[in-house]
Amino acid sequence: MATSTMRSDGGKRIDEVTWTAEELDIVEKPNGPAAAALLAAAFGSLVMGILTTGAAAYTGFADKLNLQHRVGPLSGKVTFAGLAFVVAWAVLAPVLWKRDLAWTPVAVLAGALIVGGFTGTFPKFFDLFAPG
Amino acid sequence: MELTNREAWTAAHGMIFGALFLLAFAGGLAGLWSLRPEWVTRAGVSERMLRLKVGVTGMALVAWVTTITGTYIVYPWYRAKPPQGTTDLTHYPKSLLLATSGKAEWHKFGMEWKEHVAWLSPMLATAAAFIVLYYGNQLIVDRRLRWAAIVLFVAAFAAAGAAGLMGAFITKAAPLQ
Repeated sequence: MATSTMRSDGGKRIDEVTWTAEELDIVEKPNGPAAAALLAAAFGSLVMGILTTGAAAYTGFADKLNLQHRVGPLSGKVTFAGLAFVVAWAVLAPVLWKRDLAWTPVAVLAGALIVGGFTGTFPKFFDLFAPG
Repeated sequence: MELTNREAWTAAHGMIFGALFLLAFAGGLAGLWSLRPEWVTRAGVSERMLRLKVGVTGMALVAWVTTITGTYIVYPWYRAKPPQGTTDLTHYPKSLLLATSGKAEWHKFGMEWKEHVAWLSPMLATAAAFIVLYYGNQLIVDRRLRWAAIVLFVAAFAAAGAAGLMGAFITKAAPLQ
């Protein structure tokens, strides 16, 4: 049976039901696959940020990212960021599939990568590196 | 009442896919947030989980469709260079913004931010969708997994929201015609 408890919150009585995995017919899976997806998406985001800032800083690099003329350097940035996401996931998923990892380091690393991605794609940041 | 091909694609990119994205986000977030042991019943779990899975998968798919159509269909029209000697820049929004006093920042900041940050959204939304699809009911009892999905989901929305907002302003300043 689910655990049913009563607690008082500011004078209000609140019913709380706590389910266990068995009661919901859940076979608990390790968190490795979630960590792999999280880190891969975060890595793809960071790559997008790095490519965006790199292209702003070096015209020659931006030219190399011009994979499709109509779209310009953005075509290379999105292609390589998307590839980074897929490849990172393909590499990490089999390695972490059956592993249970400590969440804190995974969350800190993923958070840092995602913040890097947001920062690198922000014009006020990447314009700092643009040639005079 | 007619839309040109460009206007139709711009509307599909920004309004149809954008609205679907918002709808899927709102439903998905509410579903994830309320997926707490004290708020679910055994009978309600399967119905709620199905709705959540549809919502997050829909959001991830729509995020990919929106960014791909935006980048490869709409954006080339936006950035197209006018032929030498063109004085009417109506059909060249980027050039129009850069040439109009007080509007250049819509390109230099708005479009530059939009075109890049938008691409974080499908990757983050896909990871969130995977977590929901793969773990399902485990999210009810595993608070950390649920929070990982929520944070990814909100980050995906933040990226798409920034891009969408800039897109709306830019379309107002220099519509694609």
